[in-house]
Amino acid sequence: MRVLVVRVRGDFSSALKKGISALCKSNRTCLRRLFPRGTLSLKVNTLGGRKISTSPGLANALAQLAVEAGAEEAIIWDRSEWELRRAGYRIKRRGRIKVLATDSPRVGFSEELYSYGEVGSLFSKIQVFSRASISLAVLKDHDIAGVTLGMKNYYGAIHNPNKYHDDGCDPFIPQVFASEPVSSHHTLTVIDATRVQFHRGPSYHSRWFATPGLIIMGEDPVAVDHFGWSLVEKFRARAGLPSLKEEKRFPHWLITAEKMGLGKTSYQVVEL
Amino acid sequence: MKRRDFIKLVGTGLVLSGLDFEAEASPAPDLSRHRALYWEKLPDRRVRCLLCPRYCVVGDRERGYCGVRENRGGEYISLVYGRPVTLALDPVEKKPLFHFLPGRKAFSIATAGCNVNCKFCQNWQISQVRPEQVRFYKIPPERTAHLAYRYHAPILAYTYTEPVIFVEYMLDTAREASRLGIRNVVITGAHVNPRPWKDILAAMDAVKIDLKAFSEDFYKKIVRGKLKPVLDAIVLSAESGKWLEIVYLVIPGLNDGMDEIRKMSRWMVKNAGPQVPVHFSRFFPMYLLKNLPATPISTLERAREVAMEEGLKFVYVGNVPGHPAETTYCPRCKKPLIKRVGFEIKENNIKHGKCKFCGEKIPGVWA
Repeated sequence: MRVLVVRVRGDFSSALKKGISALCKSNRTCLRRLFPRGTLSLKVNTLGGRKISTSPGLANALAQLAVEAGAEEAIIWDRSEWELRRAGYRIKRRGRIKVLATDSPRVGFSEELYSYGEVGSLFSKIQVFSRASISLAVLKDHDIAGVTLGMKNYYGAIHNPNKYHDDGCDPFIPQVFASEPVSSHHTLTVIDATRVQFHRGPSYHSRWFATPGLIIMGEDPVAVDHFGWSLVEKFRARAGLPSLKEEKRFPHWLITAEKMGLGKTSYQVVEL
Repeated sequence: MKRRDFIKLVGTGLVLSGLDFEAEASPAPDLSRHRALYWEKLPDRRVRCLLCPRYCVVGDRERGYCGVRENRGGEYISLVYGRPVTLALDPVEKKPLFHFLPGRKAFSIATAGCNVNCKFCQNWQISQVRPEQVRFYKIPPERTAHLAYRYHAPILAYTYTEPVIFVEYMLDTAREASRLGIRNVVITGAHVNPRPWKDILAAMDAVKIDLKAFSEDFYKKIVRGKLKPVLDAIVLSAESGKWLEIVYLVIPGLNDGMDEIRKMSRWMVKNAGPQVPVHFSRFFPMYLLKNLPATPISTLERAREVAMEEGLKFVYVGNVPGHPAETTYCPRCKKPLIKRVGFEIKENNIKHGKCKFCGEKIPGVWA
């Protein structure tokens, strides 16, 4: 499995195109797998406000790329319209590219309770009824989970995320991901690493904030998150901070995720 | 709902259906911003909640495990103060409280949220959600108490979800209800810290505690909480002199071992007293335990026998309408005192708090 690291020089669109081209090498089957016909949902993370949320520019560029590649529509979405607006998104209910939230009118949560292991949750109807989903996450330290990246981003798709923060979110992050509405739809993880909150996350703190200017992407959700975690550790070390393991916040859920067969923690890194 | 129906409903699948979203604003949830009780400030705008044994450390704009207490810029607030999701008039037997004003109505309220996540929760649609995910009323404490008064309810019950998580609303409502001559009762899992629990006890006339098992392992795996604080709360309740009853939901294969029930009964006799009524309730498959069968009635009957062997005087079988063990029997002359079928009282032979046949004093609040 490969994890692609793209340096953003100029616009998001060309960086994304470079990444997707490297991932699929003009293979139509690969493109169809990432962006199948029908509705594609792009789950962004807007919890951290304008300073440390998925960039609207990146989300729009990826949605545009998906539509050009064959998706009939793309929905950029998160939990609430209020959080989306606060992060700089403009709610858009019309067109092939929409920006919506679970609390948008007539959306809401599934009536069915989805259960996997310890997890029992209702999922956003956007996640449930999409043909495919992309986790378009941010690169952040997390006071409980160690880091919050592509897999944990799907906590924003369930109705009761507050119930799954015990024990460093382990095994809850992999189990939310393994729940049917996510596991059967997820095609790609993209981490907006143009910015990083490497300590005291998940909220914004200027003292422990940096701008690596990268996009990380890959089809293996565990590999991408594992690489993201290693990057957070690098920034922490550079700032003289103890490692997450030393702070007793090592993201054990990555190991659990690998054991559950959701992906690998050994992978090839390709820098573009 | 099928995918096709959803697409039709919200208008996604634009290309296929030509439908679109209407341009209407998202309704802003009108949640409360009432300053919470029982918390302390931490560095970097974080707070630590002191309400329950979880001691959630909550970052700015985040919520505790209960989902109803939020950190806003370093201040902890309750989102559910005066925001009940349920208002109902129930017989007090439904709580169940069998030795507290039998046959009277309890005006019963709950907000969304809970500080544990029992896999057998029967009210998960309101307890395991965030307040903005369910419809709620906007009724301040004074009006809540006046509603109970208007419906001639002699009791106001804080129930259905976990009242501890709406402690601020409960305490203010209870104060007003007491002023109107209404008795307050709390139906709780008692996963709470001693200081808030003492404040709650002071405001209540009766307490029903769900003791969900007698093992830490069960509390960790099935309840997602801890047993010890619940036992501490039972002891404090017994010491407070407020009326106390216990419910033990018997779940096949999980907490139905007779050794466990014997240990629990022995502990109850020693720490809360033999007069505390204990209800062994029948489990029905629901929420995350749909794979288990309902509790055999014989198991409940055996649990009752064991508890009485250990010295508990008032032991009931619950969720089995018409069962003889729904009846209160005089511990001295063994005659039936209060005959019940489900939540209905068929006969009451307690006069002035005593057995009308032999004069034995029956513990409880009867008038």
